[in-house]
Amino acid sequence: MSDTPLIEVRDLQVHFPVLAGVLRRPAGAVRAVDGVSFAIPRGITMGLVGESGSGKTTLGRAILNLLRVTGGRVRFEGRDITNLSAGEARPLRRRMQAIFQDPFNSLNPRLTIAQIVGEALEIHFPKMRRSERRDEVARLLGIVGLEPSHLDRYPHEFSGGQRQRIGIARALAVKPDFIVCDEPVSALDVSVQAQIINLLQDLQDEFGLTYLFIAHDLAVVEHISDHVLVMYQGKIVESAAADELYRTPSHDYTRRLLDAVPTIA
Amino acid sequence: MEGTLTPSPLARDRWRRFRRIPRAHRSLWILGGAFVLSLFSDLIANDRPLYLAYGGRHFFPAFKFYPETSFGGRYGTEPDYHALRESPAFRAGRGWMLFPPIPYGPIRSNLDRPDPPPHAPSWGHWLGTDSIGRDVLSRLIHGFRVCMLFALALVAVSAVLGIVIGGVQGYAGGRVDITLQRLIEIWAALPFLYVLILLGSIYGRSFSILLCVTAAFQWIGLSYYMRGEFYRLRDQTFVVASRALGAGHGRIIFQQILPNALGPVITILPFTLIAGIGTLTALDFLGFGLPPPSPSWGELLQQGLKQLYCPWIAFSAVAALFTTLMLASFIGEGVREVFDPRSKSRYD
Repeated sequence: MSDTPLIEVRDLQVHFPVLAGVLRRPAGAVRAVDGVSFAIPRGITMGLVGESGSGKTTLGRAILNLLRVTGGRVRFEGRDITNLSAGEARPLRRRMQAIFQDPFNSLNPRLTIAQIVGEALEIHFPKMRRSERRDEVARLLGIVGLEPSHLDRYPHEFSGGQRQRIGIARALAVKPDFIVCDEPVSALDVSVQAQIINLLQDLQDEFGLTYLFIAHDLAVVEHISDHVLVMYQGKIVESAAADELYRTPSHDYTRRLLDAVPTIA
Repeated sequence: MEGTLTPSPLARDRWRRFRRIPRAHRSLWILGGAFVLSLFSDLIANDRPLYLAYGGRHFFPAFKFYPETSFGGRYGTEPDYHALRESPAFRAGRGWMLFPPIPYGPIRSNLDRPDPPPHAPSWGHWLGTDSIGRDVLSRLIHGFRVCMLFALALVAVSAVLGIVIGGVQGYAGGRVDITLQRLIEIWAALPFLYVLILLGSIYGRSFSILLCVTAAFQWIGLSYYMRGEFYRLRDQTFVVASRALGAGHGRIIFQQILPNALGPVITILPFTLIAGIGTLTALDFLGFGLPPPSPSWGELLQQGLKQLYCPWIAFSAVAALFTTLMLASFIGEGVREVFDPRSKSRYD
């Protein structure tokens, strides 16, 4: 069992049809993810870098069963979880979660923090009483460095970094094993980025989480990842341990990405 | 889904900003107050007295039916209270009655006067009478109630239809959306007036037929907005996050999407109200509206047009219609202003 990777992706393809003409017939396909294979062992952070439009987000969402896969397989603890129905996927939602890029758009502006973070508990623990749920949400807020007094506030009362913490608390509510972090710091100030990354690392140590950490910025990925995948036009062009990648980038695209990292002379 | 009924701070903020637009805020109170008052039209303008004392007993004819025999009459029908008041028998029984401020109902013709109707405004009839002697003010008041009830019911029915159908289209997308959209286009191409005349001639003209037919066409505009909003919100990150948590369709639609999608619809509702008032009046004017002798503004306008030598009829109806539509427009403008995303960001 221990040698079974937590996540295994084999020859994954996600194509989006391009519709054309009056009858909106599929005229072609955008190969957002085009034959990707990799495995994520338990407890590590897998970095995934690539420029905008390289298919990183699509790959993350395909693993989470949030969109239909065109071909290939996704396995979770060895079990095939490709294209599950909503009902079949629900037990799985407790095991794998997501943190999203845009902290301004990832929280429903009309719900309180207690409702946003509590939603997962409502769905997966319907028997939980309301007061228990509140206590649990307050505990989760504490874990991500927010105050219990924030429970009844609304998202617009928080800064970007705080909102991202709320998003993290929401993902943690179901006690997942695996979290897809979809550019969780790209929209944040540099000083806040470090705080969030440190928080994610602390949480990984505390709860034994496994991350798929998506970013377009190699500097961020280098800091947090054990292993890095470089994605370019729907394909993985390089896969290497983080430090190795930086020392000896083998693919031309990786070198260009590395050159794009700003350095302070 | 706790707490979805308590107003969010966004809603509270919008209400606060609405109150800061005096014209809209006052219009809302005036029109709302007038509507609430009009619900008690029978206590304001009625040819049945509010209270009647006769033979040491108390009667409340405005609320309850009493046969003529209760007051010493011969028949089991409802008495003409105006005639009863003047009758020697009633006076002999030391009868006494209290009429509403306007002692005329919307349907009763006052033919007691020596000259033929229409009568010009006088102390007896503040706004005169129409061509068959009915009090114009009483008809205006009762007509306002019918008009507002119709328009509000229209708003409610078309909002529900528009939200449900537009929401289904936007949420389901794809074939469901395209199919429904084509069906809506076919439906919208039906001439409204023909459908109304046709159904009216089959089932008879009535408030409910009129409401159903009008609503059956009125919701279409609303559904376009809902469809667009659902399309837009369906792919917002917080909806994706909710799906990632395992939320079902019901939870996503009612908790995540709908509260955020209602803005544009609420903005149109005051204008739907205006459309409802306008439609009912126009249909009554053309004679395809409510069956006579229902009190209606359109019918008054029609009479006013026929009897231009009696300017009080047309003038009263036009003034009432103008005021109501203006107030509703002011409310609509205020609501639109408050919901305008440019004046303040939607999510902040």
